Amino acid sequence: MIPTAKDFLGAIWPPFRHKDDALLTPYYTFHDYRQIWGMGIFILMAAALLPLLVMTLIYYQLTEQSIDREAILRTERVASNARRAVTYFLEERLAALTFTVNEMGYDRLTDPGRLKEVLSNLKLGFGGLTDLSVIADDGTQVAYAGPFNLEGKNYSTQPWFMECKQSSACVSEIYLGYRDVPHMVVAVKSLRADGRFFILRATLETERLIQTLDSYRTGEHADIFLVNHAGVLQTPSKYYTGPDQRLTLALPPYSERTQSLVASDAAKRAVVIGYAYIDTKIAATSFILMVVKERAGMMKVWLDLRHQINWFLAVSAVIITVVIILTSTFMVNKIFHADREKAKTMMLAESNAQLASIGQLAAGVAHEINNPLALINETAGYIKDLFLIEDRYKDDTEMVEHIDSIIEAVERCGTITRQLLGFARHFDVQVQPINLKRMVDDVVNFHKKEAEYRNISIHVDIPESIPLIETDRGKLQQIILNLVNNAFQAISNGCFLDIRAKMDDAQHVCLFIRDNGCGISKDHLNKIFEPFFTTKKEGKGTGLGLSITYGLVKKLSGNITVESQTGEGTTFMVRLPIRMEKEIPS
Amino acid sequence: MKVLLVDDEQKFALMLAKRLSLRGFQTDVFFAGEQALKAIDEEGRRYAVGLLDVKMPGIGGIELGRRIKALDPAMKIVFLTGHGSDMDYQVGASEADGYLPKPMKIEDLIDTLNRLKDEG
Repeated sequence: MIPTAKDFLGAIWPPFRHKDDALLTPYYTFHDYRQIWGMGIFILMAAALLPLLVMTLIYYQLTEQSIDREAILRTERVASNARRAVTYFLEERLAALTFTVNEMGYDRLTDPGRLKEVLSNLKLGFGGLTDLSVIADDGTQVAYAGPFNLEGKNYSTQPWFMECKQSSACVSEIYLGYRDVPHMVVAVKSLRADGRFFILRATLETERLIQTLDSYRTGEHADIFLVNHAGVLQTPSKYYTGPDQRLTLALPPYSERTQSLVASDAAKRAVVIGYAYIDTKIAATSFILMVVKERAGMMKVWLDLRHQINWFLAVSAVIITVVIILTSTFMVNKIFHADREKAKTMMLAESNAQLASIGQLAAGVAHEINNPLALINETAGYIKDLFLIEDRYKDDTEMVEHIDSIIEAVERCGTITRQLLGFARHFDVQVQPINLKRMVDDVVNFHKKEAEYRNISIHVDIPESIPLIETDRGKLQQIILNLVNNAFQAISNGCFLDIRAKMDDAQHVCLFIRDNGCGISKDHLNKIFEPFFTTKKEGKGTGLGLSITYGLVKKLSGNITVESQTGEGTTFMVRLPIRMEKEIPS
Repeated sequence: MKVLLVDDEQKFALMLAKRLSLRGFQTDVFFAGEQALKAIDEEGRRYAVGLLDVKMPGIGGIELGRRIKALDPAMKIVFLTGHGSDMDYQVGASEADGYLPKPMKIEDLIDTLNRLKDEG
């Protein structure tokens, strides 16, 4: 069978309802199957998905932490390496100047020819040197070698000069100076023979320093630069340059060692910062080396992985959900149907028990009533006899009529009690082989005259293949007779009656008695086997025929069911065992 | 025609006996199976038909019928019972010659008796 949309809907949203639920409801073990179904799905989902989600979250956290740590360490390492390079760059130059100052002394250095020679030697050794100058202790430049003629210029107000005066050497910040080219000054102090100090000053191009720093820039959105203690950028920053060359990031706190931390930039993005306060062995500097990487960029690999994990998680969750829903639906549906069957059986059993107890009660009452009824009958009969025999009453016809009405009433009561007794017959069931076809033919023959008279066609179709049935002849005859009688009362002239039989299985035979009469309404359908239920006019029927038939069928270990459509007709189905058990409860 | 009537319902039995007598059947009434057997066995009374109530204290109607048949095979037995049935086939349940549910029409009883007289 091809599954339809309805089947599919039923598989994920089962109805748990049936037309006859109202009757069955009291017999169900569970009442809210929708709730059981929902609870089942919820519990299974929670049990299956919760550990999955928790594990994933823990995994996320651990991986994120380790990647974070790794990123910080890596940044710190880069910062550390860059610091070493910058420190080395400055120390190398300071050491060369110190060496020159100590080796040559004030007198030789102030000789312009010698100073020029020293400059060209230093240029050869390190490169990136613009000029050299010797400055006296009052700040006046006394000798100069380089492309600009700056002799006689006074530096006493320059910060680097003041700093150099205090200590033995200094490194200036990077500034544009008179020539509008970024450069920095390194200077060392030495003493002249007369005890006064002088300073040897070199101007360095920062190009090489910037190149060195750039070589440590790795990865996307990475930035490396120098900044002074006041937060002014010393070398260009790709991303964090603010107005007046100020750094847009907060300055990290002072630390002797290379450090790293996670901070956020002006746009509130998380950044990993590795930094070092740069100090050379010879002179302190105001530089802070900073390596800045955007955290998101460093986490990209992890984010990609997380994307995949999320997909995997989503797909698994969907599969688990579908499997759980289908399984729950299947299981709860099974329970529901089993419960429904049970409820049906219980309802049937209860109505059977009701019919049986009504039957027993009725039979008991009928039997007790029959004896006094018989006495009334005979007494009234005797009085009538006397009236008919004795001459003095012979002409009193009114009296005889009264007595006749007593006798008629008794007769009517007798009919009822006899039928009531049909519920609980004390006669044994006598099992004998019976030809069903012959028996049906016999019963139909009883009605032949009436059928002809009323123009009712009777059609009997009982195949020869039906075996002999071992059952009680009289009871079966009565069953068929009652059902045919019943049908004759239900149909109007010109209708038909159809009697068929077929094997239901190897052990049971089904007899169908179908008419196209007035039918039975739904309200009446489940009452028709109840005693005293009749739709006939008062006084016309006892309401016992079908309930007796029901009892008889039960006695023969069979079943009787009825199907009917108002206005279309009624079918009674009697299902009997081929071989009846001899042990029958009375 | 001599008729034996055995029923523990005394008033009913007497009333029925009177009605049968009015119709020309000479009827002996007993209220218990033992008395009837005694009359047949010891006193040697003979009847054409025995009308026996099925349910009686002491010897029941079916057992009484069997014993009467043993004593007098020629005697016809008709059961009367309050365990009524509208089904003819139940006559076959015992070896009875007839069966009448109580209360019955006197005409039916007379018909049965006449039929048995004809057969006998």
